[in-house]
Amino acid sequence: MSRPRRLRRATRTLTILGGVTLAVFGVLALFGSALAPFDAGERAGRPFLEPSRDHLLGTDDIGHDILSELIGGARVSLLIGLAAAAIAVVGGGLLGAVAGYRRGAVDAVLMRTVDYALVVPTIPLLIVLASYLERGMRSQILVVAVLLWAEPARIVRSQVLSLRERTHVLAARTFGAGAPYLIRRHVVPAVAPLLIAQFVRVVSVAILFEVALSFVGLGDPVRRSWGSMIQFATDRGAFLTGAWKWWIVPPGLCVAAVVCSFAFVGLGLEERFDRRLARGAQG
Amino acid sequence: MAGRRRRRRLRRFAVRVPQYVLIVLVAATANFALPRLMPGNPVELLLGEDANRLPAETIEKELADVGLDQPLLTQYGRYMSGLAQGDLGYSFRHRRAVSTLLRERLPWTILLVGTALVVSTILGVALAAFAVWRRGRRRDVASIAVFTFLESTPPFWIGLLLLIWFGANLKWFPLFGSVSVDRTTGLARAGDIGVHLLLPAATLVLASVGATFLLARASLLGVVSEDYVLVARAKGLRERTIAIRHALPAASLPIATSVLLRVGSLAGGAVIVERVFSYRGVGTLMLEASFGRDYPLLQGGLFVLTLIVVGVNLLGDLLYPRLDPRVRR
Repeated sequence: MSRPRRLRRATRTLTILGGVTLAVFGVLALFGSALAPFDAGERAGRPFLEPSRDHLLGTDDIGHDILSELIGGARVSLLIGLAAAAIAVVGGGLLGAVAGYRRGAVDAVLMRTVDYALVVPTIPLLIVLASYLERGMRSQILVVAVLLWAEPARIVRSQVLSLRERTHVLAARTFGAGAPYLIRRHVVPAVAPLLIAQFVRVVSVAILFEVALSFVGLGDPVRRSWGSMIQFATDRGAFLTGAWKWWIVPPGLCVAAVVCSFAFVGLGLEERFDRRLARGAQG
Repeated sequence: MAGRRRRRRLRRFAVRVPQYVLIVLVAATANFALPRLMPGNPVELLLGEDANRLPAETIEKELADVGLDQPLLTQYGRYMSGLAQGDLGYSFRHRRAVSTLLRERLPWTILLVGTALVVSTILGVALAAFAVWRRGRRRDVASIAVFTFLESTPPFWIGLLLLIWFGANLKWFPLFGSVSVDRTTGLARAGDIGVHLLLPAATLVLASVGATFLLARASLLGVVSEDYVLVARAKGLRERTIAIRHALPAASLPIATSVLLRVGSLAGGAVIVERVFSYRGVGTLMLEASFGRDYPLLQGGLFVLTLIVVGVNLLGDLLYPRLDPRVRR
């Protein structure tokens, strides 16, 4: 079998694997409260129980069932990741479109901000911003989104800049097409595949940011995410006892599985769009 | 010839440097604006949470000292000129200047990030070269999946597992800190620092080697199909010689650029990893500051880290012509 074919087939396998994993976690996030054996906030047993048939992953220092917490964490981590990525991609895309369309001073100011946002060490900035705001899910989403808008903005801007010089767009403008029409008919179709691929990439980064933020104690104090599970486990000395095996390892594995699945799906999407773009350029 | 080359280098310098200066200016302005834009009382943000309990005239005097009673533009001017002289403000928690505090911690972070950067680059490139010379085989495809997975795991989690296993279970390495108090001289101290450094650096290497690997692999793949590699092979050179003498130099350019660009994300990852190992770097300092709501210290830390990253990027930009003869001409 030739190399590209094997690679392509491997990519497809990975994409399907990623899609299935994401579907499983999606179901857990949506219907977790019905699927989990206990309520995540309920004292389901004695504290620090080892895994047993009743509590597959044992219980934490208050007696919460760790498996139920893990399932509850899927909802929190996925929600924050998806929401932050959506805001970053849509917001960044809009800013980029405006910069590319207006050019001039607006463009210059925006692009210098993008330069800064691409260079600044993200996690320190994340910590600084999160320290100023109230701890909570909404500010977490906001802070993560603020860190991730620059790349989509840059991509959309360069697309718009090149689109506005293309002949078919110039022709449409000559016939008197206005900005709303041009955006709907020419900009959105050209930019959408890029943004979808971006979105998938940004979601993984957003989830990793959320987990890091929660781990250092800057997350939502009420809702338990995968990051704050690891934080609590560490603070309660889980690594001095054997409890880390069922308290620290599973949430980390969940994060890795979700982030990795998004990366695999992104890989597949990129290949598909690449091929379509290549064909479009020929025809 | 030499004169023209120097002129070109100067021109490159003249184009690049202002761009970076501009980024630093944006960073400084953001630093200035942040405590004044964020919800909450700027007096509290700049003087500490307990400021409101002080008598009114003390507050006024303190405000006048910091210059908060001046118009915004004057404040901005004073802030910028202070910054130019290395004044990053005053940490009310530590009761010391932010710049002194940072100067104490910075060497540790630089040691950690520098070590991790060097090791992960060498390791990533070596593994990539190995993978490319066996490309298309099952192991090559598997390596992509494995490194993507490694890239997806939270670095601090890897660090925790290393700490649990090698620190708590096997007791090979200390559980926290960057140096022991009792070993203070010469070789013993250096060894002690190394022992403390190993796990955090290994964590950062594991967390970042995947990116280097994937990039080096892609850029080597672009090179191995070139004609001169074919020629080298036709001359009957050994595969290892081809890889090291012919392919790697040509592929090294994007790798070098990406290494320098990754300083930012490594420094960021180091902040969290430092906390796992209670390493005495800037990251631990910033996280402590975050809980004490010590905003001047937090922002000073961010600003210094940004400066370092921008500096490294500028360095990369200026070194680029030395690496790539095509740009030099």
